[in-house]
Amino acid sequence: MYNTLSLFAAESSGPPIHITPGEIFTIGSLSITNSMFYGAITSLFLIILFTTVARTMTLRPKRGFTQLVEIGTEFIITTLQNSLGSRKKAVYYAPYFVTAFFFVMFSNWLGLLPGVGEAITIGETPALRPFTADLNGTLAAAAVMMFLVQVFAIRESGFRRHIRHYFAGSLKNPATYLLGIFELFSELTRIFSLGLRLFLNVAIGEIIIAVFTYLGSFAAPITAMPFIILELFVGALQAYIFTILLIMYLASAIQHDHAAEDLHDHEMKKLETANA
Amino acid sequence: METFAQITGDIEILGKGIMMGFGMLGPAIGIGLIGSAFMNAVGRNPEAAKYFGQVFVIISLVELMALIVFASLFII
Repeated sequence: MYNTLSLFAAESSGPPIHITPGEIFTIGSLSITNSMFYGAITSLFLIILFTTVARTMTLRPKRGFTQLVEIGTEFIITTLQNSLGSRKKAVYYAPYFVTAFFFVMFSNWLGLLPGVGEAITIGETPALRPFTADLNGTLAAAAVMMFLVQVFAIRESGFRRHIRHYFAGSLKNPATYLLGIFELFSELTRIFSLGLRLFLNVAIGEIIIAVFTYLGSFAAPITAMPFIILELFVGALQAYIFTILLIMYLASAIQHDHAAEDLHDHEMKKLETANA
Repeated sequence: METFAQITGDIEILGKGIMMGFGMLGPAIGIGLIGSAFMNAVGRNPEAAKYFGQVFVIISLVELMALIVFASLFII
């Protein structure tokens, strides 16, 4: 019985599964991995795409590819407006979040192209790999965006008031300090959860496609096609979730107590009209 | 000694199987509960369908646990 179990467990001729990136060349003493290289290609693609769209943008929308990018941008700006409150703030913060959304989405989608992965290999490692299928890449993206969220929050409400957000409650209560330290720690945990979620979704999608390509040896395009379509959906969904979680973190960090402020303004207005 | 090595090798596979089985239980029930709560809310008040986007955000928080279990297969 043990022998048959070890027969099924043989991984010598299984599907090629990579979780870690492989180095393809070095510049000096810095090793460039396949996902770093493909991340640079993705960024170049995005820059060309957006400059082309900005140039062919007209006041009355024409049908075509420009409109798709405009739909995506408007979707993110509407989400920002619903979370942050005013349209002016939404348009102010739009470039950062729209870039994050489109970068993550295209990085996920460009990983499904035919040449990316095991098809083109340098030695043993694949030459191209999606940027978000690499834990280093997603952690870097999450860390940069969380750092930006902190910078925006400090710019909106000032450093003292922002720190006061974490240490909410009376300063004489020792529980406030404990909760504040936990809240500050949870900011670091958020970086890990954002990066890990994106990486796991994309990497597991790649693994599933690799397994089903291996299982359908001669009919591989037919057996792997449903999962490639699933990965299209999952890639877009994970980009949306990444962006909307960042928007929610920003909204919770810059929210002021609207109820108390509105009441205060209302009282002041009543006093003014009563005295005039 | 040889049997001991074989048992250790097979216990790894057994451990992976148990981890997958118990690990996927929680997130699956969690996602089912989220779906059922959404359906109940929409059934009572059809205007609640505007929260459909939020459902995916909450599902992603639960699905993170399931993905961590799946990824642990390759670490162990």
